[in-house]
Amino acid sequence: MSLPIYTINSLKQSYAGKPVLEIDRLTIQPASIVGLIGPNGSGKSSLLRILGLIERPAQGKILFNGRPAEPFSDDVRFQITLLPQEPFLLKRSVFNNVSYGLKLRGGGEDVVQKVNQALSLVGLADKDFAQRPWYALSGGEMQRVALASRLVLKPNVLLLDEPTASVDAASAQLIKEASLQVRRESGTTLIVASHDWQWLYEICDEILHLFQGKIFGTGRETIIFGPWQKLETGHWGKILSDKQHLCVPAPPSQGAAAVMDVLSLGDDGSAVERDEIVLKGTVSRLSLERKTGHIFATILAGDVAFTVRLTPQQNEKHNVFPGKIIDIRYRLNQIKWV
Amino acid sequence: MDFLLDGFFQAFQLLLSGNAETYSAIGATVKVSTYSMGCSLLIGIPLGFCLGHFNFRWKKPVRTIVDTLMALPTVFIGLLVYAFLTHRGPLGDYNLLFTLPGIAIGQTILALPIVIGLSATAVESMDQKLRVMIMSMGANRRQLFLSTLWESRHGLLAGAIAAYGRVMTEVGISMMVGGNIKWHTRTITTAIALETNKGLFGMGVALGLVLLAIAFLVNVSVSFLRRRY
Repeated sequence: MSLPIYTINSLKQSYAGKPVLEIDRLTIQPASIVGLIGPNGSGKSSLLRILGLIERPAQGKILFNGRPAEPFSDDVRFQITLLPQEPFLLKRSVFNNVSYGLKLRGGGEDVVQKVNQALSLVGLADKDFAQRPWYALSGGEMQRVALASRLVLKPNVLLLDEPTASVDAASAQLIKEASLQVRRESGTTLIVASHDWQWLYEICDEILHLFQGKIFGTGRETIIFGPWQKLETGHWGKILSDKQHLCVPAPPSQGAAAVMDVLSLGDDGSAVERDEIVLKGTVSRLSLERKTGHIFATILAGDVAFTVRLTPQQNEKHNVFPGKIIDIRYRLNQIKWV
Repeated sequence: MDFLLDGFFQAFQLLLSGNAETYSAIGATVKVSTYSMGCSLLIGIPLGFCLGHFNFRWKKPVRTIVDTLMALPTVFIGLLVYAFLTHRGPLGDYNLLFTLPGIAIGQTILALPIVIGLSATAVESMDQKLRVMIMSMGANRRQLFLSTLWESRHGLLAGAIAAYGRVMTEVGISMMVGGNIKWHTRTITTAIALETNKGLFGMGVALGLVLLAIAFLVNVSVSFLRRRY
């Protein structure tokens, strides 16, 4: 295995004394695609800003290609670029926005050609488009111009924070394709935070699940948030919107989150064991993990989404398709708390 | 009300005939305001940038002090500067009392908090997003500083205009520190006060019109610069 492009050790970040990120160790391989998933406030954007060397962590070190890196480091600042969730354009024309980073780096040759190429990548190749002022752009166009201004730099690492969160389907598609194309052509390492699990499952070599500032899994887990209550049966749990009882072991606190990483589909006729819970749900989405050929089935039970990872054989056996009503099984002793 | 109308006619006569006394006051005002604005912008913009851009331990109290000083009464500044520049004062040896540089010192004290405060606000209001954007492009510290300064140029310009407005229209400092000496330290505002006291409205109105014309010219120039850049 080659030298990791990022190595993070004992990283901690806090804002106004409130801890937002705590990562013991994380390595990211060069030219890989890493997805970051997790609820809002889980620390994805903070992690991206730290990886982008925009801000310094309160504690811990970041090694970039094995060497310590921090904001304004001369040897790395031209290699990494971050596209934040909300695009920000300078009060200039599209051309000047896209060429801004090149000018900061001394311009170089063929600026016009490079800008046009970058705009073509994001589907904005129209000749007159480059001369449009910043205020004459739609939200989707702004996001694409912002992406073009990063792609033109041909970065070694491209960090994308919710790149498709506030754009229409067509813009989202162009953004996704452009990101993958730059990775294909330049061997760029892509680190993407997104709620679009389906896309991440399809493209990522690795998915990291962040919750309350900690990486605790690979994103294939089902997380169920509190508050928890004592049910009529004497168990702890919650009543789902379809009146089913979701039982859990006694939680450490009312607001604790239950993590289920071993779930199975249960309509195979086998007897329900003593500590096994069965819920009825509806398959709402299927995603393919391209790397392994596994299928991720999202199953809605009431208002809770469960994720079940199926091998191709299991998928064939259960004949899972969206809309199918199916049993989900889990064991109380397999639930972890965070 | 006839005297006001007469005053307007007299005003045009004085200005068009090139009345030496009128033009002396105009010259003194332009000169002293240029000194004071030059100093306050040179000192105030970097300090305002630092106050708006950096987070440091005493930032909030410093900001409160700067905001309070923005409302300093001109007669109080005049009194303080007078006390420092008088022969018995700590700066008495420099013989600056009743001179244009003396007035400029007072006006710099008047304009400085305005330039610092409004520059800090302009830089602060440039979103955190700007910083992220510039840094993600690979900027070094110097480029970050210059780009932030450039992007907040409209706010900085607005601060400079506000300070210029105060400097041009103040009477207290010019009167107390300058002494309103004819041909020497008489500015437009002190001349208006004096001529009005003497009942000579023509000169007062003429000088008032000049003040308005200067304000108009400055604003037109600023609008042009804003459109251009």
